[in-house]
Amino acid sequence: MNDPYQVLGVPESASDAEVKKAYLELARKYHPDNYHDNPLADLAQEKMKEINAAYEEVSKRRGSGRSSGASRSSSGYGGYSGGYGYGAGGSARQSSQSSVLQQVRMAVNSGDLSRAEALLANYADHNAEWNFLRGAVCYRRGWLDEARRYYETATRMDPGNREYRQALEFMDNAGTSAYSPQGGFGMEQCGNAGLCQQLCCTYLLCNGCGLGFRCL
Amino acid sequence: MFGYVRPPLDLLPTEEQERFRRAYCGLCHTLRRRCGLPARFILNYDFTFLAILLSGGEEPETRCERCVASPLKKRTCCGEHPALDLAADESVILAYWQARDGVSDHGFWKGLKYRGAALALRGGYRKAAAARPEFDRVTREQLDRLAELEREKSSSLDAPADAFAQILAAAADEAEDGPLRRILHQLLYHLGRWVYLTDAADDLKEDALSGNYNPLIYRYGLTDGAWTPESREAFTKTLDHSVRLLATAYELWDFGCWTPILEKTVYTGLFQVGKAVLSGTYRAGKSARKKDRKVEETT
Repeated sequence: MNDPYQVLGVPESASDAEVKKAYLELARKYHPDNYHDNPLADLAQEKMKEINAAYEEVSKRRGSGRSSGASRSSSGYGGYSGGYGYGAGGSARQSSQSSVLQQVRMAVNSGDLSRAEALLANYADHNAEWNFLRGAVCYRRGWLDEARRYYETATRMDPGNREYRQALEFMDNAGTSAYSPQGGFGMEQCGNAGLCQQLCCTYLLCNGCGLGFRCL
Repeated sequence: MFGYVRPPLDLLPTEEQERFRRAYCGLCHTLRRRCGLPARFILNYDFTFLAILLSGGEEPETRCERCVASPLKKRTCCGEHPALDLAADESVILAYWQARDGVSDHGFWKGLKYRGAALALRGGYRKAAAARPEFDRVTREQLDRLAELEREKSSSLDAPADAFAQILAAAADEAEDGPLRRILHQLLYHLGRWVYLTDAADDLKEDALSGNYNPLIYRYGLTDGAWTPESREAFTKTLDHSVRLLATAYELWDFGCWTPILEKTVYTGLFQVGKAVLSGTYRAGKSARKKDRKVEETT
């Protein structure tokens, strides 16, 4: 393993508080929510594991008593376990009505977009879920404008569906929850970083993946 | 390309400005060495940015050279480096095919300058294309696709932007296989999408008057070339979203000594340019910047 201090980007002489601050900053950067449906999500996941392991190692070296109980192995935040994405296993994720659309979800999850597209093209019933999944494929491809339009159609056809609504809200926030060093960033800058963070947390807590700020 | 990707040099310390200038000069020398003298004239900030990204965090060793812009005093610049070679080849290939496109898009008289550019670049292009056949193929294929979308007056934003983005993404594919290649592919895809859409916004008024194809006119129904508040908001969001996706890719790699320049460009520079283009102040600032650059090159 790499030197844990190097991973966290702090000198060995850093105080416990500084270590924790550096850790939280990195964890915020590589948090799964920033890589939601991102083709590089697996690389972010590796980063997150590395950071969690480094923080754990530093905490262990310094003695668990000193780091205010945050050194337990479960203290890492942003685990990727559990049905993250459009998989069948996600507790809050809706399961598909049809086996074909279920296969589409699996194909999107595994990154096989051509297969997902082919399955969708052969599916005649363009219902809310079909539109939602088309949107998911577009999003993965970087076709953001069209992704939003499909999510919008899905939400219009099935206004009560939380999954579709969340996807649309995410597009409408233009990924504002994403990490940036100065807090909110963008052409229409959020004047209030606190609000941005709140939004980020709201999205984070209600995405039903069992992620959250633990022991922090 | 179009020169939209620029680090906000005024926000960077002198040391970082110098570092960027060394890359700029290094690319200029590389272009001349590999692709001949005319190739130097395609040099711009976009291609410098590409070279920096392709270096993956290494800083090439520096050397001192005289050049046309600084004939008396030798200046330090980046020496030879595979990333500079790659960026130079790819820049020439892209510039050549864009010039060729210009020839077929315009009549005889208006097409003359494109014809001239294509002719001047031909020798350099041949060398570059022989070294990077796959990038040459993708560029030609995607520019054809783009021309087809323009002919049919596509009302999609994503489709024409995708054609251009695929070209930039292909620039990463010449890099070694591994995480860096995947990261650069995603980063450059969204950079390409952003550049294409920003350029479309910059040309909106002009295209609406001249009748040239512009995806924004058909996507949002802006036949008079003026934004409506709704269309502007929707467009801003989709543009910002690309920058955010680009940023998430950027964060996954350690770009070493280039970090301050890249970070300022990704998190500040692109938004500044986007904002200026949408508010119409970008064009007004263009001539002023040209003057700046001349000063910069001769000091």
